Amino acid sequence: MGKLRKKGQAGQAKNYITRTQAVKKLQLSLPDFRKLCIWKGIYPREPRSRKKVSRSATASTTFYYTKDIQYLLHEPLLQKFRDQKVLEKKISRALGRGDVGDAARLERNAARPDKTGKPRYTLHHVIRERYPTFIDALRDLDDCLSMLFLFANLPSTTAVPAKMIARCERLCLEFEHYLITSHSLRKSFLSIKGIYYQASIQGEDILWLVPYKFNQRVVGDVDFRIMGTFVEFYMTLLGFVNYRLYTSVGLKYPPKFDQLKDDQGAELAAFALEGVNLAAGEETKAITNGEAEHGPDPKVQAEVDKIVQQLRDETDEKDDGAAEDDEEKPSDAIDKFEPVAPGGDVLPQPSYSSSDPAQLFSKFTFFLSRETPRQSLEFILRAFGCKRIGWDSVLGEGSFTTDESDPSITHQIVDRPVVQAATSDEGDGEDNQTSQKVGPNHRYPGRVYVQPQWVWDSVNDEELKSPEVYAPGAALPPHLSPFVKPTQGQYDPTVPLEEQQTEGEAIDAELEDAGEAGEASEVENDMDIASDEDDEEEEEDGDFGGFSGEEEEASEDDEESATLQRQRELEAEIAGKAVQGDRKVDAKTKAKLEEKKALERRKKQEAEDLERAKGMLSKKKRKLFEQMQYTNNKKSAEDMKLREKRRRLEKERKA
Amino acid sequence: MGSKLTDKKRKSRESDSESDDELGNGLFDGVLSQSEDEEDYLPSDGDDEDVDESESEGTEGSEDEEDEDDILSDDIPSDVDGEEEINRLVKQQGQLEITEPGVDPKPKGDDGVEKNYRVERDANGGERYVYEEIDPVYDSDDSDAKGPVNTIGDIPLSFYDSYPHIGYDINGKKIMRPATGDALQSLLDSIEVPKGWTGLTDVNTGNPLNLTQDELELVRRVQMGLLPNDLEDPYPDTVEYFTSIEEKMPLSSAPEPKRRFLPSKNEAKQVMKLVRAIREGRILPYKPPEEREREEEEQEEVHFDLWQNEEPQAPNPMHIPAPKLAPPGYDLSYNPPEEYLPSKEEREAWENADPEDREKEYLPQKHNALRKVPAWGSLVKERFERCMDLYLAPRIRKNRLNIDPNSLLPKLPSPSELKPFPTVVQTIFRGHEGRVRSVSVDPTGVALATGGDDGTVRVWELLTGRQVWSVRLNSDEPVNAVRWRPTKDAFILAAAAGEDIFLMVPTHASVTPALDQTSRDVLATGFGYATNGQQPAQPAGKEPPAKWARPGTKLEDEGVLIRITVRSTVKVINWHRRGDHFATVSPTGQRSSVAIHTLSKHLTQIPFRKLSGLAQTAAFHPLRPLFFVATQRTIRCYDLQKLELVKVVQPGAKWISSFDIHPGGDNLIVGSYDKRLLWHDLDLSNRPYKTMRFHGEAIRQVRYHKGGLPLFADASDDGSLQIFHGKVPNDQLENPTIVPVKMLKGHKVVNKLGVLDIDWHPREPWCVSAGADGTARLWM
Repeated sequence: MGKLRKKGQAGQAKNYITRTQAVKKLQLSLPDFRKLCIWKGIYPREPRSRKKVSRSATASTTFYYTKDIQYLLHEPLLQKFRDQKVLEKKISRALGRGDVGDAARLERNAARPDKTGKPRYTLHHVIRERYPTFIDALRDLDDCLSMLFLFANLPSTTAVPAKMIARCERLCLEFEHYLITSHSLRKSFLSIKGIYYQASIQGEDILWLVPYKFNQRVVGDVDFRIMGTFVEFYMTLLGFVNYRLYTSVGLKYPPKFDQLKDDQGAELAAFALEGVNLAAGEETKAITNGEAEHGPDPKVQAEVDKIVQQLRDETDEKDDGAAEDDEEKPSDAIDKFEPVAPGGDVLPQPSYSSSDPAQLFSKFTFFLSRETPRQSLEFILRAFGCKRIGWDSVLGEGSFTTDESDPSITHQIVDRPVVQAATSDEGDGEDNQTSQKVGPNHRYPGRVYVQPQWVWDSVNDEELKSPEVYAPGAALPPHLSPFVKPTQGQYDPTVPLEEQQTEGEAIDAELEDAGEAGEASEVENDMDIASDEDDEEEEEDGDFGGFSGEEEEASEDDEESATLQRQRELEAEIAGKAVQGDRKVDAKTKAKLEEKKALERRKKQEAEDLERAKGMLSKKKRKLFEQMQYTNNKKSAEDMKLREKRRRLEKERKA
Repeated sequence: MGSKLTDKKRKSRESDSESDDELGNGLFDGVLSQSEDEEDYLPSDGDDEDVDESESEGTEGSEDEEDEDDILSDDIPSDVDGEEEINRLVKQQGQLEITEPGVDPKPKGDDGVEKNYRVERDANGGERYVYEEIDPVYDSDDSDAKGPVNTIGDIPLSFYDSYPHIGYDINGKKIMRPATGDALQSLLDSIEVPKGWTGLTDVNTGNPLNLTQDELELVRRVQMGLLPNDLEDPYPDTVEYFTSIEEKMPLSSAPEPKRRFLPSKNEAKQVMKLVRAIREGRILPYKPPEEREREEEEQEEVHFDLWQNEEPQAPNPMHIPAPKLAPPGYDLSYNPPEEYLPSKEEREAWENADPEDREKEYLPQKHNALRKVPAWGSLVKERFERCMDLYLAPRIRKNRLNIDPNSLLPKLPSPSELKPFPTVVQTIFRGHEGRVRSVSVDPTGVALATGGDDGTVRVWELLTGRQVWSVRLNSDEPVNAVRWRPTKDAFILAAAAGEDIFLMVPTHASVTPALDQTSRDVLATGFGYATNGQQPAQPAGKEPPAKWARPGTKLEDEGVLIRITVRSTVKVINWHRRGDHFATVSPTGQRSSVAIHTLSKHLTQIPFRKLSGLAQTAAFHPLRPLFFVATQRTIRCYDLQKLELVKVVQPGAKWISSFDIHPGGDNLIVGSYDKRLLWHDLDLSNRPYKTMRFHGEAIRQVRYHKGGLPLFADASDDGSLQIFHGKVPNDQLENPTIVPVKMLKGHKVVNKLGVLDIDWHPREPWCVSAGADGTARLWM
């Protein structure tokens, strides 16, 4: 007989440890343990069998890997937590004795670490440990950014000190500055929750959410201690990430921060970027706020522009000449391989787009009306190359110009409704050059007026959208998420309905249309599913009005007699292939009713085939298959509902 | 004495009028006249008279005298009463008790330096101290010496406007209103403001209250918040006594100690301690707290390249990174396409649902301008929940099969590829009474032979279903098996009924005479062999395993040419591919259950001395000299040349009913009574490659198509046949594809028996089944 084995000595029972045991082992309080877990990225695990793992009578809820906890045992932070606990004990003991002076001294000393007081800790090593490479850190930046941007917009309370908020805001703005400088912002999306941004840094896609500039409501029981712990970690992380990013583009970190400007609400403009070496510094400094300084005087600006333009023209001419000489100069860029002779395979290469999306807005001067969200617009415009952005002075400091009548402005972003009376007065506001007063609907000539969505849609499509569609007061086209990747068979609102509806749906819809129209007109059997002329569709549906009743009867008959059904099945099986072939060939000449019948028949056959194939699967696989089938069916039902809604809407619009 | 006394009285009265305090102070009264206590114990009388006096005071002197008389008259009786009584009364009055001790120290006062009294002789001749009159000057201790005080309290003086007096003094005497000047005087007063005029009236006297210059100054200083009197400097310089006075001589003559002129070591130590602390930065110069805080913050924010010497590490296999949040879809847009907006029912359903049951935590909303988008209320909460998930949610690596479910399905050939296969019943062969036990299609594919419970063997034209030949082999025993000889050169049928095996040549119209003749020759050669005596000699005393004989003329006329009789009922016949040998199995036959018969030699051999288990069926390998024998549980494969066991196939079925070998020779299908159909790849394993359980009842027979089509079929007691597509690839590495293609139903179940036998047409995708319902059917 083998050796008797005690329970809980080996195997899973040893691999897992409950939270209580872990806390006891680490000699920490629960909040400290929580902090440590958050910082070190230790999370509970789900054992295969809870029963085997738990050694206690009551069911434990949270299990950790024993090795994870053992790994925490060597954490230097642990000592800090213990020191803190000791200090707190000392203070509470002093207070218990009524020795307020002693307690005060201890507390005071706590603020001075040199006096054996408060254990001071940093999270550098934790970050290095969790993210051994910079790419690892970038990969995990989603939550970090969302969190910090949220905290930057929170009101300060006792739980969220103002200092923390200020630091979050600063880090976020610094990060935005990097994105602007490196042009690494890719996409953005206006959702009901806030604004989503996606940046691509060193090949990593980072997606984060920035709330709209409102006072955030705190509903439900939200424990800000936990959030604070996360934020503390994330602040450190983003600090290091920012440093690395700044140095990677040759900028000095931290950038110069102008407290005064920040107090006036300059936000992005409160920072002055400097290059690592002094010469470069002057250049880069001009990136963000150089324009802001010489904003106010448009005349001088115009003159300067003219001179600069002249100079540039001259240099361009020179460059043209020089460029020909330098044709053979070696470059780092990838050479474009063109097949010389036909017949060779084409190998894919990274594409060279003619228009760099990073320079999308570089030629324009924007003016933001005071009802527009300045922060997000400023950021996104700058990130896509815009250099000169002006806004109303109520929106804060740092604008290129606060004068709406500045002649250099090319685009104005407006988000206010068109006042009816005024338009009737002025007629076409944009063309009316006689009225000079800045009324509610006043339009400066030579300027494009658009709603904010124009910016986002242009950015997402990497091309300037036509501004007429986005004119103030116009009904906007739907704003679509750029993050959805179209998958086969899923509903896509950008594609016309005819292209994505299933055959059965199309036929049903047409039959329905025909029924409504009630036209029994000439037989036109255009079975082109993707026919774009609606009239044609209606006409071609006409011939089914009469037959639909028959079809129903036939189907009823089918249901009534099982033998007949069987016979039909058999026939279908025999003729299955042939009918399909026929359908394709004779599609244009056959009536749609038969089309439908054929479709049904085919469906039935497919179902039969599926059953047969399923029969070949093992039980386990069959269950899995059925589960997947279920979810897929659910999804396709959703898609179908969407298509149906759209069909109805389109019909309404037509009517 | 009386006059003196009255003098005294008068004086006291005068003093009364001057200051009420004197009267009010009993001390002095007692001290002044110890013997005249009578005045004290009758204060009320005196008071009354005082009041009277005050009424008439200053106006009439005569009344004064009357008063004196009154007093005298009052006093006298008191004197008569005697001192004893008076003293007792006095003792009762607490007020006077104080005076008694005051009397006692008087003798002591004699010894004092200054005497403020005189000693006189009184009327009785006794000593009498006469004290000096106290002069109530400012310096005197009498702090209460004030003018007459009005005692009306805090009531307005106007109450007394209609009275001649303005109140009462401490003794209850009226204080008369002072005479006011006439109208002219008041006019003058109003014109010429006297010095110190305040316009107030002194409550105590009723006179206008005038303040002196000093008093005004005092008021002014109080108003200014200064000291009331500037008599002296309240903070004079201190006069330092010791330093201001220079000592000429040392106080002590002790020699000066060393510590006076040597630097202190202890101090130096202390200083060094501080110096060290400063050097080490432990002591910092003072800074305002906010500045210090800011500096500390800056110190906290250290900036350096954390990933300077980064080295990628292999990810810990146990580490599961947190899943990223899903990117927002179309329906989260502030201005989504309209079809994403919920309908009224959907909205209601969402609102009525429990927040936990909702599929999405938001409802799509449409705002027609960006400025109308409100703040998202639960953003903080959502973030918090994400935080909770990050640190508290157990992570499991779940292999989400993000694949098309159809890829799970086996790669089935397209239906067109699967074709042809039998689908419908073409011909029903009726004629047998009772069950049809066995069917066989002849190698040319023209004739069908059946054998049934009625003991007959019938031959039918396959396509038409016409019976062309029939013979009753045994009236008692059913025909258990019929099998055509598998070569086309002869037309020979083997049938088993009971213990007999018959070989026959069913001659009918379609059989040419030549073929008939060759067939008969094939059967006849054995007789010659047997008669030539080349039969191996049977061991003596042993019964031969089988007897080969002619069945008798009646049967011979019908075409049945040979009868082989074995020891027990034969259930299965299987021919070798060349047609010279055939194997029979009689499951009840114990040792001799499997027999191999050689047609050309009329020889029967029992290959197995002993078999483990009951033999069920046996077959020759289609290509190689191998022989398969199936017992209840296993199928054994023997090499006929080497005479050894090659392989034991274990299908895992409880009771094998039948098996068939693929024409390629590497695959095997096995049917079992426990409803299973098993495909064995002989090269692969002893275990089945696929197990198919599509029948509700036992499987009786399984058959491969032998004519090159990838088909096989099974027959079951549930009355159905199942046709499978079973393609064996040429490539050894590929697995065979097995596709169920058709379920053929038509046979009726009789006595729980459905389809008993099945056979394929040698070339066409047709199959023939034998049913317990007495019919055979051709499916095509």
